[in-house]
Amino acid sequence: MEIAVDNVGSVAVATVPVDELDASNAAEFKRDMAPVLQTNTRLVLDLSRLRFVDSSGLGAMLSCLRQLSSKSGDLKLCGMSKQVRGLFELVRMHRIFDIYGTKEEAVHAFKH
Amino acid sequence: MPSNTESAAEARNPATSDLVSAIQDSIARHVRYSLGKSWNDFSCRDLFDAVALSVRDRLVDIWLETDERFRRDDPKRINYLSIEFLIGQSLGNHLHNLGIRGLYRQAMSNFGADLEAVEESEEDAALGNGGLGRLAACFLDSFATLGIPACGYGINYEYGLFKQEIDSGYQVEKPDNWLAQSTPWEIPRPEEACLVPVYGRIEHGVDRKGAYNPMWMDWRVLIGVPHDMLISGYGGSTVARLRLYAARSSREFDMQIFNDGDYFKAVEQKIASETISKVLYPSDAVIAGRELRLVQEYFLVACAMRDIVRRFEQGHAKFQEFSAKVALQLNDTHPALAVAELMRILVDEKELEWEEAWTITQATLGYTNHTLAPEALEKWPVSLFETVLPRHLQIIYEINRRFLDRISVTHQADVERIRRMSIIEESAPKQVRMANLAIVGSHSINGVSEIHTELVKSSLAPDFYQLFPEKFNNKTNGITQRRWLLKANPALANLINSTIGERWLTDLYGLRELESHAADTSFQAEFQKVKRSNKEKLAKIIQDTARLKVDPDSLFDIQVKRIHAYKRQLLNVMHIIDEYLCLVEDGRQPAGPKTYIFAGKAAPGFWYAKQMIKLIHNVGRVVNNDSRASQWIKVAFIPDYRVSLAEKIIPAADLSEQISTAGTEASGTGNMKLALNGAVTIGTLDGANIEILQEVGGENIFIFGLKVTEIRAIREQKSYRPWDYCARNPRVKRVVDSFSSNLFCPQEPGLFAWISASVLDAKDEHFHLADFTPYVNAQDKSGNTFRDRVRWARMAILNVARMGKFSSDRTVTEYAREIWGVKGSRFAD
Repeated sequence: MEIAVDNVGSVAVATVPVDELDASNAAEFKRDMAPVLQTNTRLVLDLSRLRFVDSSGLGAMLSCLRQLSSKSGDLKLCGMSKQVRGLFELVRMHRIFDIYGTKEEAVHAFKH
Repeated sequence: MPSNTESAAEARNPATSDLVSAIQDSIARHVRYSLGKSWNDFSCRDLFDAVALSVRDRLVDIWLETDERFRRDDPKRINYLSIEFLIGQSLGNHLHNLGIRGLYRQAMSNFGADLEAVEESEEDAALGNGGLGRLAACFLDSFATLGIPACGYGINYEYGLFKQEIDSGYQVEKPDNWLAQSTPWEIPRPEEACLVPVYGRIEHGVDRKGAYNPMWMDWRVLIGVPHDMLISGYGGSTVARLRLYAARSSREFDMQIFNDGDYFKAVEQKIASETISKVLYPSDAVIAGRELRLVQEYFLVACAMRDIVRRFEQGHAKFQEFSAKVALQLNDTHPALAVAELMRILVDEKELEWEEAWTITQATLGYTNHTLAPEALEKWPVSLFETVLPRHLQIIYEINRRFLDRISVTHQADVERIRRMSIIEESAPKQVRMANLAIVGSHSINGVSEIHTELVKSSLAPDFYQLFPEKFNNKTNGITQRRWLLKANPALANLINSTIGERWLTDLYGLRELESHAADTSFQAEFQKVKRSNKEKLAKIIQDTARLKVDPDSLFDIQVKRIHAYKRQLLNVMHIIDEYLCLVEDGRQPAGPKTYIFAGKAAPGFWYAKQMIKLIHNVGRVVNNDSRASQWIKVAFIPDYRVSLAEKIIPAADLSEQISTAGTEASGTGNMKLALNGAVTIGTLDGANIEILQEVGGENIFIFGLKVTEIRAIREQKSYRPWDYCARNPRVKRVVDSFSSNLFCPQEPGLFAWISASVLDAKDEHFHLADFTPYVNAQDKSGNTFRDRVRWARMAILNVARMGKFSSDRTVTEYAREIWGVKGSRFAD
């Protein structure tokens, strides 16, 4: 999948380009995120297009967070739909990720 | 024929012909635009669908008005969670409740159709096994009638309880695919579908603040799609909602395997996930340990909780208000996972502190117990639980740890008591005790009859009762008089209406006014005429289904209920055998001709119950074909007992068999339905029989048999010696010997020999021989009394008149006031 990355100052903003992140495309997502994770430590993942995520998709995002954490970086999430947010809460992953409503808020959070 | 219940209700409508015309237009529109059929080319089933859809339009209007009213007033909402809702047919019930049956009858007549035939073409919604599911359905009727803001939550089983056929006296089960042709009553709500994760594992980690954070990983997801059934209340001012969830697989669930190239496995998995709502488990089946059932129970709870929380959050910001605005009633332990699920939502998703979440959970939940036998209480192996619901198991362990810590302080030295009260049974394998979970997690625990509640306190959960006696209370079951008298027995309803008016329809205590007519010979004659007519109808059903001609003038002695050892159909058969042998061997005739009528299903895996069905058929074959006996005794088994059949059998009963072993039937509701329809009860002091006795008076009921206290003493002293009864009474011995003599199984020698051994075993849990002679005596007494037509009519009328207590309106009102703390519009004053 083509993951667009914008740089806002020192923060990279990657947009998940699919409606559903699940077992059918989670491996592809991880593969395509690898270069983004290699070149950035302060990353915002924009989920505003995402409508559904399953445990594979959540696992892929968790893997991104862990890779960044291992090199003292951080991953913040933004633009979650109510349904996606609900799934994060359901499995307590909203406590692992830093989650913001908008891209701007997420980027801004890196400055503090 | 139009009834006065119809005309009275519809007299309020000024322009009847316009209304009938509008109904015809509505039906015609549905034939064309909903069904896509031409007026010249549609079937009976199409006509039913179109009629039902036109009625549904009215229900939708009232529902939207009801919903708007409740949104505006923001009352506390009742949520009734039940794994079963035994609805039966709906059309006739709605027409009665909405007061439009006469209009529809006229509309049908104008179309050249017959309303009764259209009503009869409706498939029963058999989403339940028996009493528990039918109770839930009666409660829905009462919720709507009383204006209580309530919603039922259940599962939209694709296959209801099996259809029963009889082959050579043996039960054969056929699938009941009631949704094969879809149902006009359901409104699918795919836009409100919810996601339900199951399976997976817990990954132990820390959150961003460094606190312990167990994450639920690698779960699979089911999708719960709600289907709403609208439930009319009598008078048509409120419609309640029954929300039934169907399981659907999620697309991604299949896609991984699909992409791996294994299309068939993907399809199999899709089918597997949709299996969750495929089939209703028959009761008495060995379901503990069955993974699908546990998933099914969680699926119900998860879907319901998500819907309840969503609705709460629409109007309220703080979960501290939750229990003031939401009540959840658990119909037995099948939805007991609600304790862990609500805790999970409050702690994991809403991030409340544990103690606060626990206070809210307990204040929200109420638990109704329906089970007296400790061995019948639901338990799930911990290992299975961990596989299916890993996070919930963690939560249950934490609930248990805190609970045991608390009781350890109060019961320091009593290790055994703490072991008994633990939610986790330390057996091999370890098990989760669902009743203990429900008891610990609820603010109210109720039994369903006075004696049952006392037994819950003294035998089933005495440790819990000692710990928090204030939680325990009784709510004696009830039935809705709208279905079980107005709809089931229109002739009797008409007679009552023309004698004392219609008040009884919303206040069953109003039937008391019939007492003054009980000795009135002209009223008795009318009453007997109604009974005779109902018996004629049943005789035709018996002729059509069991190929047996029975005499409507004979005493109709009826036992209709699930076939089960504790309900003691065997005791009934033993009496029939005795009566038969007295007749053919001793030349002693009964007081008058009798027709013994049975109906009921046996759980497919329950050998004993299936043998009972075979026994009834075989005894019937011998008795019915013996010319010496057949003018005195007939034995009929009507196949495929279900709600719609019950509505035809019950109004025809003279004698109601309620003969369970004392201390085994939690309440029973068939006993109430039969008495309400003018049957006199022959029964033990068990369940609600005791309260029926209190209401109707000892002179209007035939009570026999061991009492609970006597049975307890016999068990404690191990003093039961069944062979003594044989030795003392040759009639007892003759009946027992008949099972081993092949009298009733000449073609299959030895078939029933096990019954002789069983009733002679000191371990016979149901004390057949101890209760046999008292039962025979009570039968003789009832038979003799029946010959006195005036006396019998008076007894039967007084039974009807004194059934006021057993309305589900009374039951639901007690729940509302004493457990849920809510008022409905009808009983607000």
